[in-house]
Amino acid sequence: MGWFDYVWMGILAVFQGPEMFSILGLAIPVTIVMILMGFLMGVAVGATPGLAGPMAMAVALPILISIFGFTPDALLPVMGFLLGIMKGATIGGAVPAILFNTPGTPDAFMTTLDGYPMTKAGQARKALRVAHFSSASGDTFSDIVLIFCAPFLAVVVERYLDLPEKTALLILSLAFIAAVIGGSVGKGLISLGLGLLAAYVGTGEDFYPRLSMGSQTLAQGFPIAAVVLGVLILGEVFKSIEELWQENRKSGALAVVEQSGDQRLHWADIKRLLPYISRSAVIGTAIGALPGIGSTLAATLGYTTGRAAHARKGRSPAFGQGAPEGIAATEAANSSVSGANLIPVLSLGIPGNAAAVFLILAADSIGGFNPGPSVFRFTGDQVNPEMVIAFGLFTCMMIANLLNWTIGGAFMRSMGFMSRIPKHILLPVVLLLTLTSIYVQETRMVAIWFTIGFGVLGYLMRRLGISPLPFVIAYILGGKLEESARQAFAATGGDAWFLFSSSVSIAFMALTVLVVTLSLRKPKEART
Amino acid sequence: MRSFERANLILGLGAVGMAVLVACVWVPADVTTGMIEKVRRQITIGDALAPTLAAGFIGFGGLIVAVFERPENARRISARNLQFLAIFLIIVAIGFAVMRWLGPAVAGLLTDQGYRALRDTAPWKYIGFLVGAAGIVAALIGLVEGRLTLRGILVGLAAAIGLIVVYDLPFEDLLLPPNGDV
Repeated sequence: MGWFDYVWMGILAVFQGPEMFSILGLAIPVTIVMILMGFLMGVAVGATPGLAGPMAMAVALPILISIFGFTPDALLPVMGFLLGIMKGATIGGAVPAILFNTPGTPDAFMTTLDGYPMTKAGQARKALRVAHFSSASGDTFSDIVLIFCAPFLAVVVERYLDLPEKTALLILSLAFIAAVIGGSVGKGLISLGLGLLAAYVGTGEDFYPRLSMGSQTLAQGFPIAAVVLGVLILGEVFKSIEELWQENRKSGALAVVEQSGDQRLHWADIKRLLPYISRSAVIGTAIGALPGIGSTLAATLGYTTGRAAHARKGRSPAFGQGAPEGIAATEAANSSVSGANLIPVLSLGIPGNAAAVFLILAADSIGGFNPGPSVFRFTGDQVNPEMVIAFGLFTCMMIANLLNWTIGGAFMRSMGFMSRIPKHILLPVVLLLTLTSIYVQETRMVAIWFTIGFGVLGYLMRRLGISPLPFVIAYILGGKLEESARQAFAATGGDAWFLFSSSVSIAFMALTVLVVTLSLRKPKEART
Repeated sequence: MRSFERANLILGLGAVGMAVLVACVWVPADVTTGMIEKVRRQITIGDALAPTLAAGFIGFGGLIVAVFERPENARRISARNLQFLAIFLIIVAIGFAVMRWLGPAVAGLLTDQGYRALRDTAPWKYIGFLVGAAGIVAALIGLVEGRLTLRGILVGLAAAIGLIVVYDLPFEDLLLPPNGDV
């Protein structure tokens, strides 16, 4: 079995999977329908200020698992749907940013700078077309990089890294995430430590589940969905409702601007935009490949770099005054993060952002697919089903890109009305949806209390400027880190210095210290 | 000392204090094996090592925050934040209490069977969820708007009915709250 056999089997797994229905005798596979539905839902969610892709993923996951069950056949439809949401939300975020000066997602903030001035100048539809073209280009580029990089990176990791090196790599990744997310290394480390601590409650190798305080409820540990959804989703919902409560709703009458002039995107426009899109796609992909660095930074860097190039050329209008190049630079950068963000997930098993966390959660809930280097392991003549799923996922991503290129633009432009749904009505519904979906999965009231408890923790962390993402990533990786350290310790014959047993692991540990030390030099406050 | 300087100092020292408590009190009292164990003449990592290291991260992070990180825009929790959190949690707690106990109370009053026998039968299985869920949504909308409105109640009812349609009607094996606990 070679690479091409697996690529082909991955494609077939999508196209020859279970049939949803047939049109004129042509079978329509369920995975493709799920990608389409996820994509459309993602665009709608992204176009709604106050909602985000991960929220939709959180709410959809229990429903999807109920529909498809816990069989290997469920993996591609469920993960295809989630990938669709991820991609749809990426382009949807530009809609309210351009039409109403309200970014649907944080990474679309820079889009408002030129998008809204274009709307005010009567060029809203053209601005949306520029955003869609740039976003789809950046996303497709980043997926291609993912498809070529992740398998080879995974093979390198499997071939050259032994247990001590893998443990050191996990420590380096966690330190990197703690150091770069949010801008405060101290707060990142607190978040990381809390996440690890939560992961170790009710687990361990001894008969007595550690840190359970003798309670049967804690002895089972915290349900993963309660922790992830509580900290990531409820924490954000609590904070947003409080902000609305404190603002007491400012009046939001929207001025309607007459749209006029040529709204189409011509080849000459595309030629002018391509350098900006290419530059930003490379920036976004490079940033996305590093775990923990979000699309907001990519958008900022893409915009700043594009603005410098634009100023050198002396083109008009300038960035910030309605330049289509500004929208292109931002949207290409933030969209190219999404594919590249899956490089550390698929090659190392390390989630780099909230969307990746939900993909891991789905894989963990369904079973049969453990993202990490072992996914791309060749098993002689026997088929490695995980590698088939991985290439199936790549196929899903390319189908989502195809949908993005074909129907994405029109659907995105029709979603302007979503921006008008008041946030204070939407957020309590999201809260209820999240808590109900937790109960449906866990079927015990205590899971709801855990989720609310972790929601309070997420809220307090946000209020204190502590990013919740290191917490969630550490919670997910905590068990893996301990297991890997136990195995490495045993394999080296109980060597306490196993993390310094080879030049590679020493290099990883040195990098860990370097990352933390360098981050200490410029403490800033978190944006969350 | 200015308030922003105090905010991160308190957070940092709080984290250090928590780390000390976890490493020196909770872990020794609530983990049955040590950091390093000798099992059948083999040295292995015990259950206490990982949580102690987690505490180490919290303490180290706290120390960094307390000593090195005192930016002027340091975030802190205000009395108004705590006031909001208290109101919010009270609303949610009352809503879930209604959700948990209303169905059994109504079934107890109107039938001889009790709620447990009826928990998978309409309309009994929806009573608590519908009222509790709609109440939470309406109360939270009312919190932001400053008063309870008919629109808020209708949105709450629509959301609860929507969830019943999505989770309960198509799936026989899924249970809405609180029907898995009663």
